[in-house]
Amino acid sequence: MIIKTENLSKIYDERTMPVKALDGINLEFGEGEFTAIVGPSGSGKTTFLNMVGGLDKPSGGTITINGTNITGMPESKLIDFRLHNIGFVFQAYNLLPVLTAKENISFVMLLQKTDPKLMDARAMELLRQVGLEDKANVRPSKLSGGQQQRVAVARALASKPRFILADEPTANLDTASAFNLLDIMARLNKEENITLIFSTHDQRVIERARRVITLVDGRVASDERPGSKN
Amino acid sequence: MLKIAWRNIWRNPRRSLVMIAAITIGLWAGLFVSGLMIGMMHIRFVTSIEQHVSHIQIHHPEFLIDNNLVHAITDWETLREQLQTNSNVKAFTGRAISNGMLSTATQTQGITIMAIDPASEAKTTGLDKNILEGNYLEAGTKNQVLIGRSLAEKLKLHIGSRMVVTFQNTEGDLVSSAFRVGGIFQTANLVLDEKNIYILQSCLAGYTGRQNLVNEVAVLLNDPELVNSESEALQAIFPGLTVRTWADLSPELAYIQDMGKQMLIMIMAIILLALAFGLVNTMLMSVHERVYELGMLMAIGMNRRKVFLMITLETTFLTFVGTFTGMALGYISTLMLGRRGLDLAPVGGDAMLQYGYPSVVYPMLEPIFFIQLTFLVVIMVFASAIFPTIKALKLKPAVAVRND
Repeated sequence: MIIKTENLSKIYDERTMPVKALDGINLEFGEGEFTAIVGPSGSGKTTFLNMVGGLDKPSGGTITINGTNITGMPESKLIDFRLHNIGFVFQAYNLLPVLTAKENISFVMLLQKTDPKLMDARAMELLRQVGLEDKANVRPSKLSGGQQQRVAVARALASKPRFILADEPTANLDTASAFNLLDIMARLNKEENITLIFSTHDQRVIERARRVITLVDGRVASDERPGSKN
Repeated sequence: MLKIAWRNIWRNPRRSLVMIAAITIGLWAGLFVSGLMIGMMHIRFVTSIEQHVSHIQIHHPEFLIDNNLVHAITDWETLREQLQTNSNVKAFTGRAISNGMLSTATQTQGITIMAIDPASEAKTTGLDKNILEGNYLEAGTKNQVLIGRSLAEKLKLHIGSRMVVTFQNTEGDLVSSAFRVGGIFQTANLVLDEKNIYILQSCLAGYTGRQNLVNEVAVLLNDPELVNSESEALQAIFPGLTVRTWADLSPELAYIQDMGKQMLIMIMAIILLALAFGLVNTMLMSVHERVYELGMLMAIGMNRRKVFLMITLETTFLTFVGTFTGMALGYISTLMLGRRGLDLAPVGGDAMLQYGYPSVVYPMLEPIFFIQLTFLVVIMVFASAIFPTIKALKLKPAVAVRND
């Protein structure tokens, strides 16, 4: 078990007009799980991901990652923790437009102070894994949406995280690109045993996931493990 | 980080080029004006020294009180020998000085009569090179006078004009004599030109009965840095005389130099302050456009120190491209005009000469000025980077990554 939330809650605008985005979430995620968190808009999917990713502080409860309670961790330590333990894939790719595909991937390793001699090789390896080794020296503006998202996945893997959080990663992709991305992520999940947690509306993702958690009004409405779809 | 910062400033090339151009032009203009002002102050200083004050002046102490011709330097021959054998002395001249009146048919003017040895005066002050019309004084000529252009214009005199000069001789008697204008000169100080007239010492001797009457000795040194040590040495050798340096004689010269340099730094600081506002605005816009990106960077693990470093590097690159270009242009333009000179006569006319400034100015900038300017630019960079960086550091990753 690498992620555990206990009685996790988040209230926005507590003083003026409190909105309870999460209400007593108790969940555990094991190594190698492929989980889709689904629910209507405003159900708390993104908020949950932000909490687990250490991007936002909970109003109550605890979050434990790899045995470390990150709930009260200071900001500076949290940034370092994210760098070494968590990979992110955002809806809008979020690649640095001034860097090439390879440089975007290397950038994370640069933040980790990886040996420069190893950075290049690993970046190329990751690009190979996502099928974009021929686009190494191309800037994001010259890549399609699907290609950019694949580079984003490679970048998320660059820091050798324990788990990857993906917030609606297929939302801006066409069908072919979305399937392509899901194939890659499913393969990486299987081969590298990386835990994947997706927040999604996308049925294509849900069908691939081995665990589907439904949030409604900030609470866990269901937590199912349908048969493996891979 | 260097690569990212450098590439980031070219994401919006037009905006960056506008900012760089503003810095370049601001610094170029500031440096050029500064060079011009320093050149003006320098040439004023040099011409004042070379044409009027010299590095050292020696007087009988009583002469400094009442300017009376009778207070002459009694051991002038010894002093002359001392100065002739001193290798640090470039040139020197002895003058007899008396206040008097100059009268024409229609006007009268108070003047200072400078009775000179033309050869040594020419070597010390270059008076012979300042003759506009007529001739310089020559030994043997009788009752010839050199007057300044401003005086000639005022009294409507020209070459050959007659005038009567009245002064008090060493006996205390008033003496009048007729003179002709032999030459008209102009120095860099029209005020003194209107006041001083030059005659031969031998001519004055005819009225005083005293050859080699000298009230004032002006000394020009080979190395201006030795002025204090030479002055002290001469004072020690001739304790009965008053030896003064140019700083004693014209303290405003030193004051103008020092104050001028301080003011130039202030002018550059003001220019940089104005540019800093533009820089802050540019960087704020850049941060505002990249809220999403900055949120993502912090999400994936870029700590606040690196965010600060990135924005500061961007500000630095933007500033220093403009700074180096502006400095280079300022240096080149100052160097070129410093050799050729810039004639401000069409603009200022005689106005500059009224204040002792020659009309041809040679802009100049000392290397220390560039060092001081670089230091000011560094301060500007950090000051400009603070506000945009604070804005970036206040971003919450969770909010920023949704800001698309």
